[in-house]
Amino acid sequence: MAYFLELLVNGALVGLMYSLAALGFVLIYKSSGVPNLAQGALVMMAAYAAWAMVDFGLPLWAAVIAAAALMFAFGLLVERVLLRPMVGQPVIMVVMLTLGLEILLRGLVPGLLGAAPKPLDIGIGLAPVIVGDVFMNRAYLVGGVVAVVLIGASMLFFRTRLGTKLRAVSDDHVASWAVGLSVERAIAISWGIAGIAAVGAGVLWGSVQGVDWTLSSLLFPAVAVVILGGIDSIKGVFVGGLAVGILGSVIPGYLDAYAGGSTRDVVTSLIILLTIMIRPYGIFGREDIERI
Amino acid sequence: MRLFAKLGFAAALALGPAAATAQEEPIKFGLLQDFTAVYTFVSGEYNQGQQDYLTLVNEEGGIDGRMFEAIVRDTGNEPQRGIEAYNRAREEGAILFDFLSTPVSRAIVDQAMQDEVVLITPLHGRGDAAAGQTFPYVFPVMATYWSQAAILADYINENEGGLEGKKIALVHIDSPFGREPTPILEDLAEQESFEFRAFAYPSPGNEQSAVWSEVRRYRPDAVFIWGAGGGQSVSVREAIRNGISAENIYSVVWLAETDAQNVGVDAMEGVKRYEAVATGTDNPILSRMVEQVIEPGLGAGGEANVGSSYYNIGVATMAVAVEAARLAIENGDGPLDGTALKNGFEMIEDFDAEGLMPPITITTEDHQGGGFGRVARWTGEEWEPVSDWTTAYQDIVRSEIDAGAAEYSGGN
Amino acid sequence: MFYRLSGIHHTGYASAHRLWSVPADRWQVVAVLALALLAPLFVSDLYLGSYVLPWLVWSAAALSLSLLMGLAGQLHFGYAAVMAIGAYTSIHLAQAGVPFALAILGAGLTSAVIGTLFGAAALRVKGLYLVMATLAMQYLVDWVIVNVPAISGGAQATLRTPDVTFLGLPVETLSQRYYFALAWAVLLALFFMNVKRTSFGRALIAIRDKDFAAAVIGVDPFRFKLMAFLTSSFVGGVTGAVLAFCYYRAVTPEQFSFNVSIQLVAMVLVGGLGSVIGGFLGAGFVLLLPIILTNAIADLGASGWIDLSQNLMAHLPLIFYGAMIIGFLLFEPLGLAKIYDNVRKYFLVWPFRHSGS
Repeated sequence: MAYFLELLVNGALVGLMYSLAALGFVLIYKSSGVPNLAQGALVMMAAYAAWAMVDFGLPLWAAVIAAAALMFAFGLLVERVLLRPMVGQPVIMVVMLTLGLEILLRGLVPGLLGAAPKPLDIGIGLAPVIVGDVFMNRAYLVGGVVAVVLIGASMLFFRTRLGTKLRAVSDDHVASWAVGLSVERAIAISWGIAGIAAVGAGVLWGSVQGVDWTLSSLLFPAVAVVILGGIDSIKGVFVGGLAVGILGSVIPGYLDAYAGGSTRDVVTSLIILLTIMIRPYGIFGREDIERI
Repeated sequence: MRLFAKLGFAAALALGPAAATAQEEPIKFGLLQDFTAVYTFVSGEYNQGQQDYLTLVNEEGGIDGRMFEAIVRDTGNEPQRGIEAYNRAREEGAILFDFLSTPVSRAIVDQAMQDEVVLITPLHGRGDAAAGQTFPYVFPVMATYWSQAAILADYINENEGGLEGKKIALVHIDSPFGREPTPILEDLAEQESFEFRAFAYPSPGNEQSAVWSEVRRYRPDAVFIWGAGGGQSVSVREAIRNGISAENIYSVVWLAETDAQNVGVDAMEGVKRYEAVATGTDNPILSRMVEQVIEPGLGAGGEANVGSSYYNIGVATMAVAVEAARLAIENGDGPLDGTALKNGFEMIEDFDAEGLMPPITITTEDHQGGGFGRVARWTGEEWEPVSDWTTAYQDIVRSEIDAGAAEYSGGN
Repeated sequence: MFYRLSGIHHTGYASAHRLWSVPADRWQVVAVLALALLAPLFVSDLYLGSYVLPWLVWSAAALSLSLLMGLAGQLHFGYAAVMAIGAYTSIHLAQAGVPFALAILGAGLTSAVIGTLFGAAALRVKGLYLVMATLAMQYLVDWVIVNVPAISGGAQATLRTPDVTFLGLPVETLSQRYYFALAWAVLLALFFMNVKRTSFGRALIAIRDKDFAAAVIGVDPFRFKLMAFLTSSFVGGVTGAVLAFCYYRAVTPEQFSFNVSIQLVAMVLVGGLGSVIGGFLGAGFVLLLPIILTNAIADLGASGWIDLSQNLMAHLPLIFYGAMIIGFLLFEPLGLAKIYDNVRKYFLVWPFRHSGS
């Protein structure tokens, strides 16, 4: 029982950390309908940025803020230079464009800052938090809390004036134009916020595994979170993250011994497939997906 | 067709004199490695060590007046790019290749043997390539993963109160590389009567919490961690977090200073690893390199890397290769081609690179060089050897090598 | 001037639909084919074995995928897995002693069956969701290959191709393997061009453009989507087998990883969706550009033209490669095929700037 609880709790926390990587994806999709497959690369870039600032001598909090500012600006830049000319192109072109951006960043960032893994110490000790016979991972606990805070902040943000504009834009571009909202600016801001969300994911994951290009492979679990939760729902990021994390922890925890290998990626793949087959728009996604 | 044959003949005549002067050409090594994908955690330092060592040899006058030249290219761990880089470097006259990438090495093995050029596969590639009769041109040079597992087990047997009755867990990345030590450890478990169980975590290993919850409940006396790159520091963190004493964590060769910084240099104190080559600059070769290559500014990369674990492994691989070339030039009369270099490798006897590495002897049968290594312990600042250079359970390792080689001869 | 159009007129559907109705185009095709046939005589082994041969095989793969993505409009981000199924089937069959021709056929059939299962997702969703579904399937196939030693080939996870003969012709030496790959690429290109002229091809195009409009005019989207997956997976599986036997001569799981799927999609897009010449150009671009860049940058570095750290030099090709994919999508979304078309049109009316109409 304690084993089950431990898998459950750690899985849920890991899932929330996946949500952090998924949050940016949803924000961008929600506002502009662009599936940003470069979100993993943004996470990597954010982690490198934070590491570079710390290495430069800034204290951690200042490094995180500076990285957030940098990533916000980079998000705006990407939207303005790369995505705006693609308006009206088929989805495959946009998908490939973001993949091209991913390749570019995976070359540029490690090329300039060094490809070997960099340590990013955010001062979380190794000792577990022990409740009964359940060992909780302290780093994941912090990560989970940060994820909840960021997801909550995003939800609240959509209740502010600017957030309301963003929601209007995500509902209907043409109608927003008609009432005088700047759709372009709203989309740009959503890219900027996605950049900030990438800093959260980058710093936390970077502190766990070290900063190198493999951070961009967080895209795969993030995609599972997004598909399951609903591709345009922030609530979905939270619930989807929990579900992907828990299923990806509990099922392998009992099955691996018999499967003779690690089954987590199988579970993640099946989550994506089954969701798409049964309920393509996910748990909380809007049901206006064009079906055949 | 005949016209082309004639043209070819004419070309050969024209090239004839050029071939004769080729003696003065530098000896070319193709170091075609993965600098941008899976092996980034090691390639930079490793390749820097290789290049710096060749520079040192050249600075000291080369071997018998012959200089060495490294052809360095990125393959991105992609077989098709490796094949192109191999063919191009071979055209440029390279007679030795090091890909430091298991997929690329596997793709080249057949071709290299057909072309009769030397392929060294230190710490990567097929473990069974140690069988010299089956793989005449492939040289693992350093201990295979099988030998590494055997040496770690032997260390526990000798220094930690014997293997008998112990529980040993292998926590590995879920890939052919991660699974490699399993058969050896299973055989050893039977022979030395200890309990053994393998646990796999998904690639690339940035998240392993579920596996370690299971490992903790297994209550192992020792844990072998078998991964690479970022996954290794995650493994160490998770192990410590799950109450496994750092002293009981044993790692494959891929655990270096960067990983220690990642985990926290103090937290990792006590973790042990297999070590193929000594670390640090406290060695005649390394001090000459610092003096003649690094300080004059001829180094191939950052000074901070000099003497690191992976840098020194790179140095050792080239030390062996240059020694082979020296033996080949001394004992051969023909030009130094792939076959001569191969024979040079097989003449290597008790070569220890002035104490940098264990004394290896390569024979026609054994291209592994005896499967030597030692165990080193992280003191909080550096890797301190806690055993002598040794080799262990080579009978079991050898049977595994022969089984693999037999399968290869049979078509696989 | 270069393309003499005078006297070309059509008096029936058959002549209007014939391939290459302009003589100059025909001559170009003949010339390229002749060059390709003679290539082993004048191209060195280095370029034949590591440039032209893989280019042909990857072009065949890009064409197979373009059949699905370009003609039928079904996105597929797991095509490397389809090819992997073909490669593993063929190699296991060949090792079991099945004649090579049958082994290749078996490869195609196995891929077709499993690939059509992939396609089942296409009956439910399209666009981005199809991308995600096929991506998940790529991971599943990879996992099965790596985790079932009977498929991947034991501890070393390497299967070597036995020497084979195709209907009596040996496929062993470099030029033999080259001709085999060339034959397959040409066959596939001809098939592709002809599919576009059949009712099957037109049905696929109708579905791509608007599936319920197609349904209205009597094209059953269910049937034709599945058939598109079936056909594309069949030729993809055969291409996987050709890749294994003609180029790699050994099969390992990494040869068919997720990255390869991305590369194939990039080939199709950079080349131009649904275009034959685009398939060849796109494959050449995506496959050979990183190699050429790596060598060019290394040469520049060796000659002292650029003085950069080893690490940055190694990453430069990746940077250029990503930048060029982005550049194509931004500035020429119709791909290299469109650029070829522009050039051809320019010469079509040369020396005039525009045609009269």
